[in-house]
Amino acid sequence: MSKAETPTAKSADKSADKAAGGSAGETVASLPDFGPAPLQPIPVKPRFVLLSVLVVATCGLVYELISGTMASYLLGDSVTQWSLVIGVYLSAMGLGSWLSKYVEKDVHARFIQIQLIIALVGGFSAASLFLGFAYLASVRPLLFGILITVGTMVGLEIPLLMRILAGDDDEARPASLKDLVARVLAFDYLGSLAASVLFPMALLPYLGLVRTSLFFGLLNGAIALWSAFAFAPALRRAMALKVQAGITVLALAAGFSVAPQLEQFGESQLYDFPVIFSQKTPYQRLTITRWQTDIRLYIDGNLQFSSTDEHRYHEALVHPATTVAARLAAAGGGGVRALVLGGGDGLGIRELLKHPEVQRIDLVDLDPAMTNLFGSHPVLTRLNADAFSDPRVHVHNADAMEWLLAHRREGKEAFDLAIVDLPDPNNFSLGKLYTRGFYRLLRSVLTPGGVGVVQATSPYLAPRSYWCVVETLRSAQLNPVPYHTLVPSFGDWGFVLISPQSVEPPSALPPSLALRFLSDAMLPTMFVFPADQQPVPVEVNRLNDQMLVHYYEADLADPIVSRK
Amino acid sequence: MKRRTLLKGLAAATAASGCDRGGTTPPTLSFVGQSPERGHMLRGPKHGEAVAERLRVNTLIVGAGAAGTAAAWRLHRAGLEDYLVVELEDAPGGTAQSGHTARTAYPMGAHYLPSPHPELRWLHELLREFGVELGTDAAGRPEYDPTVVCRAPVERHRYKGQWFSGVYPGLGETDEEAEQWQRWLDHLRDLDAQRGPDGRRLFALPVDHSSTHVRELDGQSMAAYLDARGLDSWRLRWTLDYACRDDYGTPLEQTSAFAALHHFLCRGLEEVHDRVTLMWPGGNGELVQMLAQAGEVAPRRRTGLVVFDIDTATGTTRAWDVSTQSVVEIQAKTVLWAAPRFILPHVIAGDPLARGALSYAPWLVANVEVDRRPGGIGVPLAWDNVNIEANHLGYVVATHGESLPDVKTQTGTVLSFYDARVPAPDQTLDAVRNDLLTASLDDLAVEVTGALEGMHPGITPSIRSMAFARWGHAMVRPVPGLLFGDALARAATPIGVVHPCATDVGGVPLFEQAFSNGVRAAERALLAAGQPVDTLIQPS
Repeated sequence: MSKAETPTAKSADKSADKAAGGSAGETVASLPDFGPAPLQPIPVKPRFVLLSVLVVATCGLVYELISGTMASYLLGDSVTQWSLVIGVYLSAMGLGSWLSKYVEKDVHARFIQIQLIIALVGGFSAASLFLGFAYLASVRPLLFGILITVGTMVGLEIPLLMRILAGDDDEARPASLKDLVARVLAFDYLGSLAASVLFPMALLPYLGLVRTSLFFGLLNGAIALWSAFAFAPALRRAMALKVQAGITVLALAAGFSVAPQLEQFGESQLYDFPVIFSQKTPYQRLTITRWQTDIRLYIDGNLQFSSTDEHRYHEALVHPATTVAARLAAAGGGGVRALVLGGGDGLGIRELLKHPEVQRIDLVDLDPAMTNLFGSHPVLTRLNADAFSDPRVHVHNADAMEWLLAHRREGKEAFDLAIVDLPDPNNFSLGKLYTRGFYRLLRSVLTPGGVGVVQATSPYLAPRSYWCVVETLRSAQLNPVPYHTLVPSFGDWGFVLISPQSVEPPSALPPSLALRFLSDAMLPTMFVFPADQQPVPVEVNRLNDQMLVHYYEADLADPIVSRK
Repeated sequence: MKRRTLLKGLAAATAASGCDRGGTTPPTLSFVGQSPERGHMLRGPKHGEAVAERLRVNTLIVGAGAAGTAAAWRLHRAGLEDYLVVELEDAPGGTAQSGHTARTAYPMGAHYLPSPHPELRWLHELLREFGVELGTDAAGRPEYDPTVVCRAPVERHRYKGQWFSGVYPGLGETDEEAEQWQRWLDHLRDLDAQRGPDGRRLFALPVDHSSTHVRELDGQSMAAYLDARGLDSWRLRWTLDYACRDDYGTPLEQTSAFAALHHFLCRGLEEVHDRVTLMWPGGNGELVQMLAQAGEVAPRRRTGLVVFDIDTATGTTRAWDVSTQSVVEIQAKTVLWAAPRFILPHVIAGDPLARGALSYAPWLVANVEVDRRPGGIGVPLAWDNVNIEANHLGYVVATHGESLPDVKTQTGTVLSFYDARVPAPDQTLDAVRNDLLTASLDDLAVEVTGALEGMHPGITPSIRSMAFARWGHAMVRPVPGLLFGDALARAATPIGVVHPCATDVGGVPLFEQAFSNGVRAAERALLAAGQPVDTLIQPS
């Protein structure tokens, strides 16, 4: 767009209107639908009013999309939320359109004020919903309040814009009704299309919810500000409106600049229970919540354990393999050298340390903040029985693959036991720690008779992923023996017992362990997979294709189909 | 004029984004690697200068790239330490040179090695010696150092604004196109399984280990080969054309059908032997360095020495020492010419090879430091990232193999952008080469920024620096008739005591070929020195 086309109220170029204007001959009087209000002809180019229709329509739909997305995030059950949001929003727009007939005077000023209301309410909608979720008993009234306000205002503004356009066209040649409706509605719907395409592809990924809503608030504010100047001759209190619009734009801009903090604060409120600790480390976000005696750890928002049932997970993870290793060590007259990959919460080593045969534990966890936290926070050290202060435990903060490579390169002593307790393979960086190459490396740091266990996602929720881990372990000659157990806060959870030589699951646990969940009677049942949880055909997870990451994504997206 | 305006725009965009970062400067631009000026020195009138230093060695190796370093490694292995490697640049590596930023090493040219075919036992042995191959599993399959195995996602392509896996543009494919692609894959599988009557694979490395069976394919272009098989799907041809430009710097029409098929089959197909891509942040420069270390080459290597005259009968060689600005005379029994073959006529008298018998592709490699990793809609950032709607080769990510702490904490990276300069129908290769070598830093910056913007709109403000490696003669072009024609045979034939053995005289610009050339030339030098040798590069 060239400079010459920039609209100003003072320099209206009416000849340009011919291009945008419609057929001549009809008069304003032939437009009774637009009410009896006297229409002041204002010398503003209609094409810029049409442009504002486009912007206004885009903004309108974006607020609807933000509300729908927030409702699904915060309230769950996305079908219900989206249905309600769309229905309520559209009916509010209808209400606004109907109300527009009561606007009889000062159409231009009303239009600007409506813009300002939309700018403020819509612009701060995502931020206020996040905050509302933190502080209000129920976020629904706020959600629908915002939805109805914005919907009504958006419903109001289009008829008002039409009226401005109708009176605003060349005095001698006002636009025809059919022309006006065609143009305005075309731009209105075009704006909706723009919003619906931009929102999922560009706005949500790049700006996030809070900044997207503030950004569109700014656009509304800018339209209002521009209108305050453009319509100045038709405004009774132009200066006041300009000041209001200016303040609105400034407020939104200020909001935009602190949006990241708002968003972070908002997200911390998404956990089920009060957050007692939250830290952003260079690697991840650690959040700990507590509700009465239930302590939960979240990493990047994903639940890692709940203290109500973590003993089930950790007993099942640690004791079968450790019992085998301890028996072998006792037979050989030596102790157990154990390797733990992941498990920076210390809950696994708490179990491991119950075996007196364990002489040394090398724990490799990426994040020093994690191991420090679980080595020092009193609530957490009570959970892991202060496992990190046991002199047998040696912590290494490193990438597990790099650490294994270095260990092998330096020819250090092999391990009798390996406990691989890594986060689920939801990205390529983690997926590499489940590849055949990684397992071969793991095999190379185990003694020939060594044993190990790998946490392997859920065979029920993510069957392709689980069996892919099993097959990958098999391809790395680790003789996998799959087993699973129920951890209520996770669901049915899967593990794999491994060894460079074939390994038999233990038939009995040392009685000295005093366990809460596992028992000798329980042991063999874990190794049984029911008919609907039999192995599925999968490919091996290799470093150069990482099928597991694809399986994991597909399993989570479509668990029902994958269970067939 | 237009370029200027665009560049100003770039600077402005960078400055604007700098405001919220607390003031940053526009990207630093530099030339790296081979200097065109250095190459032209050997034409300078140094012949009259007095000799300041005299040396005597059994074998002189000219060129410290992959072939020259392999030759030195071979001599060392045979116990012949009386050799000298001279290199005209200030750094070894040849077209496999590495550079680095504070963040990472990066490649200036050759940058990966597909895991070798099981039959290439000599190469597997070498990789084991380097610790790249860790051993074999129970099934006898090689196991590689996982930090150099290119991990998923390996390749992605941008097409119609989205990123997809691989380099075949499959979006919107018709049934007919899908059928052609399948037919092509089946054809490759069929060729891969075949052995010639001599029992050899049809396409092997080094090239002369290929069966004699289908060598006549070298006479036609890959485009004609596809035409003859009714393979006219633009998608298939795009992918194959990309492969030819990527490996040889030649489009389908100018690539020998043998060479193109060789590209796909010389390492064997992925499904038959677990093929992976081995890669290093600094590219094959790191491989050449391993070779130099294993061969203890560094003490017997001098850089900044421009050989300008060789007596092919006596081996008397004169070189210009750039650092001392004086002439060095080296008396050698054997001279291994591991520098590009096209330079040789400037150095010796009476080259039997016609000028221009070998043609070379000019390449631009730009290493672009960015302060955030590029993303895009669809498949996440891969090692190799290609734009279907452009004619450059896209970029690889130098930090692709880094470990978790860096993945999580480092936002920036270095993108190694590759562009083989293919002449338009109305252009000569010389004109294209001249354009590349005379382009200013600003010209190249505008061009590369534009190419990256085409892949990642809005990437410009995140660009911190750009280092341009200009290769006037990056690689020999395997045009139809080259591989098994007279010219290449003549190019590789010794002239007196001078043995041409750089990658180019092998016909294909691949590490395996460079290594074989160097090793075989060294073995000839060993024979000349009276040492019996068993050749290392055995066909299987």
